[in-house]
Amino acid sequence: MKNTTILILSILFLSAFSVSPGADEILKKVEENMSSENRVFESEMIIHGRRGSRTITSKTYSVGDKQSFTEYLSPPREAGTKMLKLESQLWIYSPSTDRTIQISGHLLRQSVMGSDLSYEDMMDDRKLTEIYSARLIGEEKVDERNTYALELTAKVEDVAYHRRKVWVDTERFVPLREELYAKSGQLLKRTTLSDVQKIDGRWFPTVVVFKDMLKQGDGTEFRMTSIQFDQEIPEYLFTKAALKQ
Amino acid sequence: MIRFLIKGIMRDKNRSLLPILVISIGVFLTVLGSCWFKGIFTDMIDVNANFSTGHVKVMTRAYAENVDQMPNDLALLGASEFVRELNTTYPNLEWVERIHFGGLLDVPDANGETRGQGMATGWGIDFFSPGSNEPERMNIPGSIVQGALPSQPGEALISDDFARRFGISPGSPVTLFGSTMYGGMAFANFTVAGTVRFGMRALDRGAIIIDITDAQAALDMADATGEILGFFRDGQYDGEKAAAIKEAFNARYEGDPDEFAPTMLRLNDQNGLEDYLALSESISGIMIFVFVLAMSIVLWNTGLLGGLRRYNEFGIRLAMGEEKGHIYRSLITESVLIGTIGSVAGTALGLAAAFYLQEYGLDFGDAVQGGGIMMPEVFRTRVGPEAFYIGFIPGLFSMVLGNALSGIGIYKRRTSVLIKELSV
Amino acid sequence: MLAFKLAFKNIFGAGFRTFLNIAVLSFAFVIIIWHNGVIDGWNQQARRDTIEWEIGQGQLWHPDFDPLDYLSYPDAHAPLSAPIKALVDEGQLAPILITQASAFPQGRMQGVILKGISPQQHILKIPSSKLETSGDEAPALIGTRMAKDIKMKEGDQLLLRWRDKNGTFDALEITIAGVFNCNVPTIDGGQIWLPLERLREMTGLPGEATILVAGDGYGGGGQPPWIFKNQDYLLADLDMIIQSKKGGGAIIYGLLLIIALLAIFDTQVLSIFRRQKEIGTYIALGMTRWQVVGIFTVEGSVYSILAILLGALYGGPLLWYSAKVGWAMPAASTDMGISIAERIYPVYGVGLILFTVLLVVLTATIVSFLPARKIARLNPTDALKGKVQ
Repeated sequence: MKNTTILILSILFLSAFSVSPGADEILKKVEENMSSENRVFESEMIIHGRRGSRTITSKTYSVGDKQSFTEYLSPPREAGTKMLKLESQLWIYSPSTDRTIQISGHLLRQSVMGSDLSYEDMMDDRKLTEIYSARLIGEEKVDERNTYALELTAKVEDVAYHRRKVWVDTERFVPLREELYAKSGQLLKRTTLSDVQKIDGRWFPTVVVFKDMLKQGDGTEFRMTSIQFDQEIPEYLFTKAALKQ
Repeated sequence: MIRFLIKGIMRDKNRSLLPILVISIGVFLTVLGSCWFKGIFTDMIDVNANFSTGHVKVMTRAYAENVDQMPNDLALLGASEFVRELNTTYPNLEWVERIHFGGLLDVPDANGETRGQGMATGWGIDFFSPGSNEPERMNIPGSIVQGALPSQPGEALISDDFARRFGISPGSPVTLFGSTMYGGMAFANFTVAGTVRFGMRALDRGAIIIDITDAQAALDMADATGEILGFFRDGQYDGEKAAAIKEAFNARYEGDPDEFAPTMLRLNDQNGLEDYLALSESISGIMIFVFVLAMSIVLWNTGLLGGLRRYNEFGIRLAMGEEKGHIYRSLITESVLIGTIGSVAGTALGLAAAFYLQEYGLDFGDAVQGGGIMMPEVFRTRVGPEAFYIGFIPGLFSMVLGNALSGIGIYKRRTSVLIKELSV
Repeated sequence: MLAFKLAFKNIFGAGFRTFLNIAVLSFAFVIIIWHNGVIDGWNQQARRDTIEWEIGQGQLWHPDFDPLDYLSYPDAHAPLSAPIKALVDEGQLAPILITQASAFPQGRMQGVILKGISPQQHILKIPSSKLETSGDEAPALIGTRMAKDIKMKEGDQLLLRWRDKNGTFDALEITIAGVFNCNVPTIDGGQIWLPLERLREMTGLPGEATILVAGDGYGGGGQPPWIFKNQDYLLADLDMIIQSKKGGGAIIYGLLLIIALLAIFDTQVLSIFRRQKEIGTYIALGMTRWQVVGIFTVEGSVYSILAILLGALYGGPLLWYSAKVGWAMPAASTDMGISIAERIYPVYGVGLILFTVLLVVLTATIVSFLPARKIARLNPTDALKGKVQ
């Protein structure tokens, strides 16, 4: 009798995992897919303002999640501006003034280049699995693709968004949509990811649209024009001295 | 006859010097006083006009909507052409571009890295165009604590408190880090030319004033400006003229649905100055009336005294057979002469003083601070058109009236009584 | 006494002219009192309003709190210690928690300051009792300026987004439970008042505060880590503005006073000229010349006394009326960042009136004395003959 109970319980327990992959497992797969030892990419950021849109191109080198170095390529005014991120510190170098300015504290919450992203948004470098506990809430279609809908709730305190919803492609394990919520449940931001391409053997979304849901406007579009994984990046790039070069 | 009287006035110091002196002083005080009233009641208005509203102001509609947030992304494009056009269409106003912005002031160390930084409010104003009145308009020369006005592009004035907090002084570099008109990152290096005190805590904590061309370059606002301010060339705000200009201007864009179409506001429409303007006008009117009334009474009295003083003279003249009417007429003519001389002299002196105080003001600021401030601690007179004639009301009119009243005595008293007053 | 009797006699003898002199001097007298009264009234009202609405009997600030630097707010808060809590419970201190947020009126983003205040507090006049929670709604109070700025009225809803102590975003629709009208712009513009406990909960800072406002019973002094800022410190800006207004006003009544004194001076010169025989007679009767100077000087001061009496006669009711109905200030004047009531009620202190009386009498005496000095140099026989040069 006792054994049968254990048997039934363990079957029930196991079946929860076997029907579809567990939420944590999905997240882990996404992370495996999206993150790499290092990467080098060129991107365009299209910012829609009240006066029209403008495009900023940049080249970014990043190692892991802690170090990144970005050089802006265009428009001419921004070209040569460099941004260095080490852990939670951020420096910006402008060639026209030959100055390195540290952005710290609450200034990190300002918007970057008039976009719907703050410096802080760009700097959040922790793995989702480290800070959220995930729950699978269903399967939905997003852009004609089957997705797992995950609900992520913060398990640590110092996060910008208490709850997220992520829609992950069931085949490619690429997120296609993400919604960020306030503690109160208010939808704050929506991110839409598309143009998923296979690069160096992994699926990667190359277009991301960020939209601040509380503000009027068309949001900010982020487009990867080239991306390479596991490149050799010289260590000196991630020093303040490199900013001036 | 008049020449004869003038001779008499000149030769008899008792008849001329004292009354003329009293009238001159009185008229001087009246003119100065009335300009002073006008000055202090319009003071708040002027500060607003000079600092933010102009006599009229042109912005895009979208900018006007959020003007408090310094939304330079909504600035007016094609500014120089626009200013040229405004100057042609409304030549009796001086049109100036201004950019009001916010940003971070960053103080570098020897390696060009951040040593300290603070939030700042900034203005781009016209420092360098020949004949620009902008620095004086914002009372910048008077509020400099250290250093001097910027003399070339790339120089800036910053608040004195900020400079002290970060241990920088004229000659030190600072970097402005802000956001361009298009949302991009704005970086610009400036050399501190001088430090200023505003007299408002929020501005004294962090503010930077640079040339408008520097601001345009730094904020990527080539030929764009946040605001175009119009000031009447005579410096006097005329609400009715401003309203007419505003209406004519805005009518041109009535059919234009563009949120970036220009719109004009006059001083009254901004910062809620309408009511304040009305109040200050009525108060200064009342005060000037009281002042003129008081002065009139005093000079009337002087006229009375002037007549009374001469009763024995009249007695002799009557005894010598002069007509009463003739004496009376000569008395009046004399008083007109004296009143005119006194009023002209007094008005001239009063205007001179008023113009001086309009220009330089009277500083009630704490002299120990080592520099004035931009907010009104300096009081100024304001010379309006009425300053040119207001002194004649007490100076001429009441003076003559006083003489005329006292002169009636000539008719009332009998010759014998007047002679008795001669009493040798 | 003789001098006074003579003086009154002579002055009344001059009739109409005397009245003119007195009238002008009384103008000056009344206007000096009125002007100073208005400024004092404004000063008192502004101080009183600022004390009642904003600063209480002083404030305890968290050491990191800098009201002008909103970037300091996220770090400027601390829990209340037991002794402070006791003072709060006794009603001697009112804790206020201050944080920054974004408001989204009509889809625009606008930076605002959130202030949490206890609905039960009685130290400040802010109608915080309206924040008493009723159900799930998040009630908020705003001032009239803020209401105009964000185009909101009572009952409207406003979306707020803020970050809690960990930087986690949160957002909430609040309901405007009331719009208060007060003359202190520093608690109105760009600010939203919420129930203290609610804001503590929203920011994850239970039991904490940024500043504490002291009430009547508070003894003063800091309570580590809190730094006590007394009223003088908190009112310094206001005092400076009012002082400068006084300076500008002093010129006005200075000029008016000079005009009045000019009249007295003029009258004195003439009366000395015309009354030489009288002067000679006094001296011949055995008065010293300085006694005669005294008579004429007193005559001059009597003008001032009469002027004060006349001033009191018409000025009294006028000033009283003005103090009663006040002086309407335009609503707009409050936009200039200083506390100005809609109506200023002049306040006439005893000190002000005494000072003005003294000022008028003293200056009138001096200007009467100046021409009278001439008498002292007079040769009595010449004077008797009426020859003065």
